[in-house]
Amino acid sequence: MFYRGLPLRAFGRRVRGFWLLLILLLAACAPPQGAPAPQPPSPPAPAFPATVTDDDGQTVTIEREPQRLITLAPSNTEIVYALGIGDRLVAVSDYSDYPPEAAAKPEVGYIRVDIERVIAYNPDLILATGAHRQQVTPQLRQRGLKVITLDPKNIDHLFDNILLVGRATGQTAAAEKLVADLKARVQQIEAKVRQAKTRPRVFFELDKSLFTVGPGSFIHDMIVRAGGENIAGDADRPYPQLSLEVLLQRDPEVIIITDIGPYGGETPESVRARPGWQTISAVKNDRIVPINPDLVNRPGPRIVDGFEAIARALHPEVFS
Amino acid sequence: MTAGVHGRPIPTARRRTLPAALLLVGLVVAVGLLAVSFGPVRIPVPTVWAIILNRLISGLIEPDWPPTLATIVLDVRLPRVILAGLVGSALAAAGATYQGLFRNPLADPYILGVASGAALGASLAIVALPPTPLPVSPVPALAFTGAVLAVAAVYLLGRVDHRLPTTTLILAGVAVGSFLSALNTYVMILGGNRIVQVIAWLLGGFTGATWFQVTLMLPYLLAGLLVLIAFGYRLNVLQLEDEEARQLGVDVDRLRLLLAVGGALITAAAVAVSGIIGFVGLVVPHLVRLVFGPNYRTLLPLTALAGAGFMVLADLAARTLLSPVEVPVGVVTAFVGGPFFLFLLQRRKREVF
Repeated sequence: MFYRGLPLRAFGRRVRGFWLLLILLLAACAPPQGAPAPQPPSPPAPAFPATVTDDDGQTVTIEREPQRLITLAPSNTEIVYALGIGDRLVAVSDYSDYPPEAAAKPEVGYIRVDIERVIAYNPDLILATGAHRQQVTPQLRQRGLKVITLDPKNIDHLFDNILLVGRATGQTAAAEKLVADLKARVQQIEAKVRQAKTRPRVFFELDKSLFTVGPGSFIHDMIVRAGGENIAGDADRPYPQLSLEVLLQRDPEVIIITDIGPYGGETPESVRARPGWQTISAVKNDRIVPINPDLVNRPGPRIVDGFEAIARALHPEVFS
Repeated sequence: MTAGVHGRPIPTARRRTLPAALLLVGLVVAVGLLAVSFGPVRIPVPTVWAIILNRLISGLIEPDWPPTLATIVLDVRLPRVILAGLVGSALAAAGATYQGLFRNPLADPYILGVASGAALGASLAIVALPPTPLPVSPVPALAFTGAVLAVAAVYLLGRVDHRLPTTTLILAGVAVGSFLSALNTYVMILGGNRIVQVIAWLLGGFTGATWFQVTLMLPYLLAGLLVLIAFGYRLNVLQLEDEEARQLGVDVDRLRLLLAVGGALITAAAVAVSGIIGFVGLVVPHLVRLVFGPNYRTLLPLTALAGAGFMVLADLAARTLLSPVEVPVGVVTAFVGGPFFLFLLQRRKREVF
């Protein structure tokens, strides 16, 4: 390993637009009707068997509506609950603590997954992430289990993922409504951001050893969309470690800390007290904002809450 | 006459030592000046020195620089360079001591379990203690405590009656080290999300070095180095068989204990402030031995000096190579130290070993 990077998220393929393309293709291939007479709208096609293509590029066919779900990441657990089918989860990943009732479910691991236990729960659908691509997903697929990998790279990709899970679980309508609501909120936030006259420089602290976010990370994407300028925007990797000299020189106007509470115990006061930090604009102007890391680290429905929190931190004046 | 690492006579090194030693002092000073002058933020070198001079003798120069630059030089770069120097000095001197103590060229500062003890202490501090927004982190204190307890355990396990044979000491060190590493891994798994912080600590480095850390480290380093240099010359006698050394009037076991504790103390202090940085403690003593010969009277002070220079240089590379991103300093020390060591070994092995 030649540099430092946090193993938070692996790489993935985009599926945006895939479904639109598929629908157009199917429409084009549909056999011509004998009589062009106006017809009543055809009854909705049966949802199952459903065929979906996930972020691994794997095409997965699901015969019946899944009733025994397992999630391998907290973000996926949150998606399943948001679709209203949390009761179908027979087990969840470690750290699945939202919504609170998820914490009561049995756990099967996270980055390291207990394969035996997963098999023992006899799931009919498993929701994995890009982090499971090397070790876990192939093992599960070999045993004939249905696995869908979600590996979103930005908010729009996440919305596609939610629709994908909706189709795979027979919750298309709920997924469409959820995504429509989330999209509307994102648009509201972006409309407010457009009113802002400033584009503040921001330092986003993952850890007090100055790990931060760079291009290619979900959070960097959100900072830019929330009208901020990431001071690590020129880094060559998604999770770089910034040197303190560079941090001081680039003089962030806003500092967002996520290593708070149980995640590191930092507070605006402790940041303000760090030696040498008193010359930073964000410290002088009292603009150190703590944000719950679960809102920005987990690519689930709450990411919009995280997006709003970032936008508020950057432009408090337009959110008053 | 005293004996070298493998019992061969020490070449008469004295004659060429003094000028070379002076050259080394000059080199280390130059490296220090270089490291303070350059960093990821480009500040004109005259400005850097104007800032430092102005701090030493206030009002000497009318400040024409933004206060941020003064903060960068005085609160970020200077403590970082000094801390790197202190840690490099500690690890190299401890490595040289242990190589002599155990008559083993593969010995390093972590051989007595200091690293795994410190790592366990740090992990516990990060994982088990409720995170508190204290200005003083509990991590260095627990890391230091862990290191000292580990060495104490190794001493008690390695002692045979009143003797302190090197073989049992090494075996105890390896056993205690493995056991504590396993415990540490378990603590890390229990730590869940905080595993990231533990790994960041384990990687080691001088990111976020402060004057507080310098003052934390300095007393231990001075006391430990003093012990090592004051008694280290007797390591020459320890290269003999224990019986021969006793006949020469050396209390072998007491000397071993003294040197082991001195080395452990400075290693523990170094690890507590900088995490676990490999390679320096192994390679620098050999480099110095290859250049100056194996006489511990000169080897220990020169190794302490060279370790400081080596680490300052490695950290300079760590913070400037991929700016604005940092490279772990341990990667630099291994990357640079390894090939350079092999190069010297190829050239000098017949002469010295």
